[in-house]
Amino acid sequence: MIHCEQVRFAYPGEAFVLGIEAFSVARGEAVALVGPSGCGKSTLMNLISGLLVPQSGAILVDGVEVNLFPLAARQRFRLGMIGLVPQNFELLDYLTVRENILLPFRLGAGGGIGDEARARCEELAERAGIASHLRKYPDQLSQGERQRAALCRGLVTAAPLILADEPTGNLDPENQDRIVSLMLEEAREIGATVLMITHDPLLLPRFDRTIDVPALRKGGVA
Amino acid sequence: MNAGGVWFLGRRYLGRNRAKTALLVAAFSLVWLLPAGIALVVGKVEEQLRARAAGTPLLLGQAGSPLELVFNGLYFTKPAIATLPYGGTEAIAADGLATVIPLYARYAAADHRIVGTTLDYFDFRGLEIREGRGLIDLGECVVGSGVAAQNGIVPGDSVISTPETLFDLAGVYPLKMKVVGVLAPSGTPDDAAIFVDVKTAWIIEGLGHGHEEADKLGEEARLAALSGSDDGAVRLNASVVQYNEVTEENTDDFHFHGEIADYPVTAAIVIPVDAKAQALLKGRYGKAGGPQLISPGTEMDELFATVFSVQDFVLRLLGAIGVATLAIGALVFLLSNRLRRDEFRHLRHLGADPGTVRALVLFEGAFVVVTSLMMAGAGLAILRIVAPILVRQWLA
Repeated sequence: MIHCEQVRFAYPGEAFVLGIEAFSVARGEAVALVGPSGCGKSTLMNLISGLLVPQSGAILVDGVEVNLFPLAARQRFRLGMIGLVPQNFELLDYLTVRENILLPFRLGAGGGIGDEARARCEELAERAGIASHLRKYPDQLSQGERQRAALCRGLVTAAPLILADEPTGNLDPENQDRIVSLMLEEAREIGATVLMITHDPLLLPRFDRTIDVPALRKGGVA
Repeated sequence: MNAGGVWFLGRRYLGRNRAKTALLVAAFSLVWLLPAGIALVVGKVEEQLRARAAGTPLLLGQAGSPLELVFNGLYFTKPAIATLPYGGTEAIAADGLATVIPLYARYAAADHRIVGTTLDYFDFRGLEIREGRGLIDLGECVVGSGVAAQNGIVPGDSVISTPETLFDLAGVYPLKMKVVGVLAPSGTPDDAAIFVDVKTAWIIEGLGHGHEEADKLGEEARLAALSGSDDGAVRLNASVVQYNEVTEENTDDFHFHGEIADYPVTAAIVIPVDAKAQALLKGRYGKAGGPQLISPGTEMDELFATVFSVQDFVLRLLGAIGVATLAIGALVFLLSNRLRRDEFRHLRHLGADPGTVRALVLFEGAFVVVTSLMMAGAGLAILRIVAPILVRQWLA
């Protein structure tokens, strides 16, 4: 599903350089990305999602070399192929929980939402335990509820690749477990690949594999 | 760019921030509406004032402010000018140079000016009677359509003149006048006036009056009324009843003291028979300190030259305020977009294309500008309908 080769990325004007020889993630695999802060986990994830473009090397997602796409095409690719679950929820405060979950459909071509999408939104919200909050605004929810809403948004399009950037970082153990369980269950049901950044070693056994990003930078694959 | 998504997100953002949006729309609407509205209203005022002035060839009045004369003679404002002897107006007519219509617009009934004139006035202004009939007898009045509508007056009702001062016991007594007709609406100050014969106006002034005749009083009352007859003339004291209404029974008891030619009028409309007569008349009244014969149209030109210079200044001032308001509005947008940077980043992360994000940035500004323009347009359209009515009411 994901294949990176000879990738090199540096932020303009900064000393930080992310260099990766090669690494792959198979379709349907659930992988945890670990490593200390500042080692390049989020950068790697942004490269895979097409938010960043490497200076050299190739990043293939589902056989497509994302980094060769122009910006607009990368945005479309992300919308269709990737379900993003950010660390800080990134919910729009002027949309209700339901509207936030369905937002990727609004951003897609036409901006329309079908009955199927609505039904999936209801189903995910039910499973995440936020069905009764669908009409509320994000500022009316607790942290855990907001993260569950953000997770539902990442899953609503049933994208083949789910990228989760430390989605449990701000949550209590109960909510952490709930989020990870829901994400992995849902991914397994639809056969999606999961790549999740985490600092919590207790969550690692829930994943098929763990990639240590600092080790990856040296050229090895965990 | 995804137009549907932009519309949805833009609408929801504005809806969630409706107080800010409403304030911006209101401020911008005023920026567009105020200069256009002021120009429209001033234009309507000018139109109304000029139309009446243009329809009045010449106006005769006592020396003083020509504008005061125009406003009292044409728009029946409270007189702040000296009166003119009625004989002076008759002299012009006697020369055969012009038709003269006297106006005595000093008194009022409540808020409505009582205009003493002759029947020629109704023909000159093209005023038609909608209900009832025209003036025939002393003590009758014909009311303008606005007066009738405002006070629910119909022919057969009465109107009482308002004393100039409540404490002047020796002064003007109120006169109860019978309404015999209601004028058709004309859209002019005539709608708000009460018309009486000029002699009735003089009765209100106290120059003419009616009371019980001494020889009709009973012996006892007659003795009480006689206060002295040294010179052979009969003088009646205050116990004699003065009539405050002219009726069929007492109309013959009304009489005037002194010379009618000395009685006052506030102005007179002068309609010269031809251009030569007009030139002759203007020359006759050109002396300083004497009565003035003015052309209302010319006075209005001078007035509007001043009004327009003031309007020009006000519009420039509004323009500066408008620019400042727009600059503040732009600052609000910039700050708002700065606050929304995270939101736009989130949308890009989710997959919104650059056009969609740019359109969202512009949406709020475009919405405020377009909505405020529409509001200002609607306001202007309403003002276009309402302004003539308001101006007429104001001038009345």
